[in-house]
Parts: sequence; C-alpha cells; structure tokens
Amino acid sequence: MTETSIQLEGITLHFPKQRNIFAIVADFFKKKERKFTALSGIDLEIKQGEVVGIIGRNGSGKSTLLRVISGIYPADEGEVHAAGDISLLAGLGTGFSAHQTGRENALLYGSILGHGEEEMLTKLDEIIDFSELGTFIDEPLRTYSAGMKARLGLAVASAIRPNILLIDEVLGVGDPNFKEKSKKKILSMVKGASTVVIVSHSFGLMTDICDRVILLHHGEVMHDGPPQESIKKYYEIAGE
Amino acid sequence: MMQENEGASLVLRQIGVKSNSLLAPFHTLTEIRKNRFLVRNLVRREVRARYRNAALGYAWTVLEPALLASVYWFLFIMLSGNPDKMYAVWVLIGVIVWGCFSKSLNAATNSLTGNVRTMHLVYFPRSIFPVSGVGSNMVVTMMSCLVIIPIIYIYDLPITFHLLLVPLGVFMAGFMALGFGMMMAPLNCIQRDVQHLIRFITRAGFFVSPVMWTAEMAMERGAWGEAALWNPMVLPITMVRHGLEGKFVELPPAVILSSIISALVIYLVGTIVFSKYERGAVKYL
Repeated sequence: MTETSIQLEGITLHFPKQRNIFAIVADFFKKKERKFTALSGIDLEIKQGEVVGIIGRNGSGKSTLLRVISGIYPADEGEVHAAGDISLLAGLGTGFSAHQTGRENALLYGSILGHGEEEMLTKLDEIIDFSELGTFIDEPLRTYSAGMKARLGLAVASAIRPNILLIDEVLGVGDPNFKEKSKKKILSMVKGASTVVIVSHSFGLMTDICDRVILLHHGEVMHDGPPQESIKKYYEIAGE
Repeated sequence: MMQENEGASLVLRQIGVKSNSLLAPFHTLTEIRKNRFLVRNLVRREVRARYRNAALGYAWTVLEPALLASVYWFLFIMLSGNPDKMYAVWVLIGVIVWGCFSKSLNAATNSLTGNVRTMHLVYFPRSIFPVSGVGSNMVVTMMSCLVIIPIIYIYDLPITFHLLLVPLGVFMAGFMALGFGMMMAPLNCIQRDVQHLIRFITRAGFFVSPVMWTAEMAMERGAWGEAALWNPMVLPITMVRHGLEGKFVELPPAVILSSIISALVIYLVGTIVFSKYERGAVKYL
C-alpha cells in the first residue's frame, strides 16, 4: 500500500502580529506586514497505512500543522492534499454544555465532530456503554467529575472510523483503570484508521506505535526518520 | 495493514480550498441544510443554557413579555391615559420583534469570537456559528410570541390567516440580523470595538425603529415621519402588529418593497463578506 494519504507541499503559515486596527491600516498603506511565521515551507508526504508521530518543543508548530491538515487554518502558501475523510481528535468534549444531560451532550459533541443524526443514534448505545457512566448518562453534565466528562468525550470521539486520524495530546485521561482502557481504545482506533498522525509528548508510546517520527523546530521539519533517531535529535535541540 | 474500504480507492483532494465568495449566499444555505443536525443541537444548547436552573424554565419566554405587557398597560393606558387601547400591545410587540433583531445581531457579531475553542479543535463551515446564534434567538422569540394568545382573547381580536404574518415578521427581523451580523463577525475578530459599536447601534436603533411608536403615528407626522418609514425594521414590526389585527401590512408599497430588497441585499453582502474574510480573521483569535 503505497498510495499517498496526506501530501503537504511548501506549506507556509503566518499569524498576524499587529492586533490594533490603526496599526493594521497604517501598515496597509506602508505596504508592510507584521507577522509571525508558524510554519515555513513544510514538505511532507504520508502514505496510506503509515502511523506518523510529530514531536517538537512547545510552540514549534505541531498543533498548527494538524490544524492545517484538518482545514482549520488555510495555508498562506503551498497546498495540502488528503485522501478520504479526516478527523482531528483534540481537546475531548469540545462544546459540551453543562446544562444538558450526558446523552444530549453525546449527540451534541457527535454533531460537532461532523456526524449525522442517524449515525449518532445508532452509535449511542455503544457510546454510553463505553463511557461507563451508568445512570449518570441522564443527569446534567454539571454534576459530572472531570474524569467522567473526559470519558464521555472519548467515548463519542472514538466512535468514529475515519480514513485519516489526527491525534493531538488526548491520551491519559481519567482514573488509572480508565486510562488503560482509553489507551487501548486509541490504539485500536490507530489500527482501524488507515493513516494516523499523532502529536504527543509520550515518547515511549511514539516509539511503540509510530513508523516514523517528524521533529519540528521553529516551524520547519528538522528531522524525519525512525522514532529513535528523531527522539535523539529532539534531546539534542532541547538541551541547547 | 487491514483496510476496510479496500475497493474504494481514495482520491487526493485539496484541503482548505476557498470556494467562490460570490456564491456564498447559496453556499450558506446548502451548508445549513447539510449541517442541520449540528445547527439544531447548537440552538438547543443556547436555549437550554438561557433557561437553566429556572423552576419555570421555558415558561419565562412567555411570562416575561406578559408581565412587560401589564406594566405597559398600566403605564400608557392607566397613567398617561392614552386613548388607543391597543397601544400597550403595540409597544410590547415592538419590544419583542426589536429584541429578536438586536439579540440576534449581537449573537451573530460575537459568534466567531465566542467560539474560539471549538474553532481551534474542529472544522465545520464557520457560517454555522452566526446561523445557530441567530437561530436560537429566533426560537426564543417565536416562543415569546405565544403571548399573543391571551392578547387575542383579552382584546377579542379576530383569528385569521393573517396571523401567519407574526412568525414571518420575526423571521424577517432575524434574517436581517443574520446578514448584518455576518458582515461584522470577521471584523470583530480583529478588533473587539466592533461588538461595542454594535451594542450601541442596537440601543440607539430602538428609538429610530417603531418600537415605542407605530407606522400609523409616523405617517401622521408629515415628511419627517414618512422618512422614518424607510428604516428596514419598520416592515417586520408592522407586519406582526397588522397580522395580529387581522389585516395585511398597510404600508406604502414602495416602503414594503424597499425593506424586502434591503433585507436581501444585507444577506447577500453579509454572506459574501463573511466567506471572504472569515478565514483570515480566524488567525487573529
């Protein structure tokens, strides 16, 4: 299986730096732009079936890169191509409403993640089962503990079977028992998806599951190779 | 590695391609239709949050205008002795319909800035944010409109198909707020002054629009009064009032036509501006 799944060609992304409207207008007339370059000239090809890890120090552009792939930020230069549906797993439980029941929140979160009504209704039992919430599922979310919310979020998010799965630091929620279960679930999602890009700081996991790890530094690809090699490079730059 | 959809070969497609902004008025509609389950859930979330932990819950949507009506009745009819028995009702309707417009406009303007977290974590068409903000206010206003049932009973008003003008007027107020708000939302991402300005405009607009006055009162005032009728909000408010009275909108045809045209133009410009600048504006958040 050597078909391309994700292809980035010369991706450059700037963030505007000047937030004051007068300054923006002034800069517009002076024909200069103040900006911060988050990603510069990223070329990357990920084949179908690959599990790719992304590491780098804080602010190196890891999350931004995932957001560009999923379409949240449009690239200023370059093109992103992808094959199949993409799902970004980040910040479990986005948009949860404290005043609605767990069941309603499952439907709400599912629809935010892009699922249709029928799909969600057929998966609802499985989701409730996995969340281990029992009778709490019909209680308002404000009565939940942080761990319970995370469980519900993971249960909904893991009900998806996308072609491309992007994971941004969502491992390790809940009590040890559930942590183990959630890790297993995510690993099974990784196996189920044809292509996976994962951002994480748990290098142990990365070495276990990734075919290849990319090291980002100041928005550029610094190293692209086997996990051990990239992690070694990471420690070299982290110690500088 | 095992793959479930082996037969269907996946084709590479470009991510984050910008569709033609000029088609945005149509695209917005198809996006709403495609994401109707999401819109419905977001609207429900807003409405639920508003009436949380209240014993009377949704009853407040009707109770609030009903209590307001009795205050107006006491103020205008009993204290100032206004000869028009219906005046308190007209003011109440003005407040309800104008409230729908101003709350929807504020919601749409703040729809991008208020959903930063969601926007950073998932991608779906961004027009869903202003649409669901306006939608939730329309739903609440429609529920408030149930207050006309006791009013019809008390004032012994005719029950005719003209009552359909009531939801239509509310819809038009929300529709105009959507277009205007979509124009403002990307700008608000860059500078929050926009939301303060819009809040001021909705407060000032309260007096310029026929909330405390009616189109009939304006028409008796000569040139200045007639000029006031060109405000696009005159039509939706008057529509609801006249519908309740059991008659079709009695405004000069030119005024009706210009209001409808301005509502459409506001929507066209709003959706085009939104689709053109939303992508860049999100980077400011």
